[in-house]
Amino acid sequence: MTSVRPKLKPETPKAVTAWETATGQTVWMAADGSWTKEVGQIAAFTGDEAEARLADALKQEGVVTDPYFMEVTESGGITGRETLRETIRANGPTVAYGESA
Amino acid sequence: MYRYDEFDARIVSERVAQFRGQVNRRLSGELLEDEFKPLRLQNGVYLQLHAYMLRVAIPYGQLNGRQLRRLAVIARDYDRGYGHFTTRQNIQFNWVALKDIPDVLESLAEVEMHAIQTSGNCIRNTTSDHFAGAAKDEIMDPRPWCEIIRQWSTFHPEFAFLPRKFKIAVTGAEHDRAAIRVHDIGLHMRQRGDVVGFEVHVGGGQGRTPHLAALVNEFVPETELLDYLEAIMRVYNRFGRRDNKYKARIKILVSEIGAEEFRRLVSEEYAAQREHEKIALPPEEIARIHAYFAPPELTPASGPDAAFEALKAEDKEFARWARINLHPHKVEGHASVTISLKPVGGAAGDATDAQMMTVAHLAETYAHDDIRVSHAQNLVLPHVALKDLPAIYRELKAAGIATANESLITDMIVCPGLDYCNLANARSIPVGQAVQEVFADPDYQEDIGRLHINISGCINACGHHHVGHIGILGVDRKGEEFYQITLGGRADEKAAIGDIAGPGLKADDVPGALKRVVDTYRDLRTDKSELFIETLARLGHDPFKEALYAAD
Repeated sequence: MTSVRPKLKPETPKAVTAWETATGQTVWMAADGSWTKEVGQIAAFTGDEAEARLADALKQEGVVTDPYFMEVTESGGITGRETLRETIRANGPTVAYGESA
Repeated sequence: MYRYDEFDARIVSERVAQFRGQVNRRLSGELLEDEFKPLRLQNGVYLQLHAYMLRVAIPYGQLNGRQLRRLAVIARDYDRGYGHFTTRQNIQFNWVALKDIPDVLESLAEVEMHAIQTSGNCIRNTTSDHFAGAAKDEIMDPRPWCEIIRQWSTFHPEFAFLPRKFKIAVTGAEHDRAAIRVHDIGLHMRQRGDVVGFEVHVGGGQGRTPHLAALVNEFVPETELLDYLEAIMRVYNRFGRRDNKYKARIKILVSEIGAEEFRRLVSEEYAAQREHEKIALPPEEIARIHAYFAPPELTPASGPDAAFEALKAEDKEFARWARINLHPHKVEGHASVTISLKPVGGAAGDATDAQMMTVAHLAETYAHDDIRVSHAQNLVLPHVALKDLPAIYRELKAAGIATANESLITDMIVCPGLDYCNLANARSIPVGQAVQEVFADPDYQEDIGRLHINISGCINACGHHHVGHIGILGVDRKGEEFYQITLGGRADEKAAIGDIAGPGLKADDVPGALKRVVDTYRDLRTDKSELFIETLARLGHDPFKEALYAAD
């Protein structure tokens, strides 16, 4: 299963993102197909390659949960309509919390 | 308060063991997320924006010190040092790793707590008046009935897969502090002669189609309550829609077939049930549960307390806190204390592990080991002697939880919004903080008086925006956050759904717009005793809408 997010055109650069199953932390697919928690490592894919990468992610059920496409720039920067949501997924809440609040 | 018997303890610990196995199978990939999701939800585990969230049940919002300490330890050891108290009088942990959740649940079970039925399409935590058993205006204590409903509804095999989630609230005071008219079932305790019974309201709720509950029965005697509830649940289970998630709540059923027909169906089911399989709760069982909720032994004070009065005279801040955050108690010389979790600039309902420890200590030392969570996301010490208030205040102040704003404009209900929630369209917390800033002056807030602002980050309305005197709903427009304002909602015995005032506002424009609305109220009220919601009802919404959209 994938999260229901806005549809992206085949040519739109996109990353594969998901939640790490054991911790729930946000992960993205790096260029080599491994999972990363580093925003700088986000890989951009397009067309058939993107579809193949997502299909690959969907097979890794114990490792990641609910993979889906998110829009990125060609260099992997978060962009598009869901920029705020994806930035919060990447960086955490926009407000202070816990002791630092 | 209620204590687990051997059966309670066993089923909770067996459930933890079962879930541990399910988590292990999920982590190994043996269970797919689609298979695991209904199992985790039945145990209170959500997958939010950037982590799992664990929602722990606090039955009718009542806790003791030992339980709150345990929540603090979990916040410290498994989360990021804080928890979030919710409008269902529960607590949520935002950052717990799935692999750790079985250990957290085991730790909760040791203090008679769990996360069962805090999610999923089942009967959720029954909520109640946070001043239950203490409030001067209370007629009967609703907690024993909440407990009876909890025992009946927990693991009830017939109601484990309802069309949609189901929420019940019970109040025993004339003034409704439990928002019963916006619940699937709202019960108002009544007395006829010697018989205790319940006025039954059905089909209220918020979300994308808000409804106020319809009065379905004016008086169901207490011995028949469970039979009557069961009849309602059966009618809902049979006729509630399962084809469309957005039309599956009982409010839609009641609204589509009409209250009259719904009442007829329930009566028919009830009559059949009474004949063949009635529960007919025995009076001794009712008495047994009531014994757990015996009031603490409090000695009525013969006159004002000297130390309390002296500190009020000498410390203006303390006097203000005592004026605003105390609620009249049944016993002379006592009060219920609201511990506000709404400091200006904070996140509504959040408490750090250290703050939870402080409240647990205060409850054990001064307040008969009784703590409540209010549906407005605050904590309450229901039974406190006035003479102990100076000491309590000093500790609360040192812990940063002595904000004097109970039911004032900065005491807002705010959902976690897009900062945490996977369903949200817009952020709630920063908007709430910005609104708090413009009303932060304590004299200004107190002059405004009781005014409830409620904020939701999406149409699911977890922040109860429909019933805020002023409601704020976050929406997404092509990637930009906008906020729709509603006016005139209320959650009490005069419950009403707010009206949308007009087009949505940009986040930056919300605080100024609300200030204009509130200042218009201050100009137009007859005097300070007329609340915002009353002025709004007297004059209509037009002057306030005009103020809302006036240019700065």
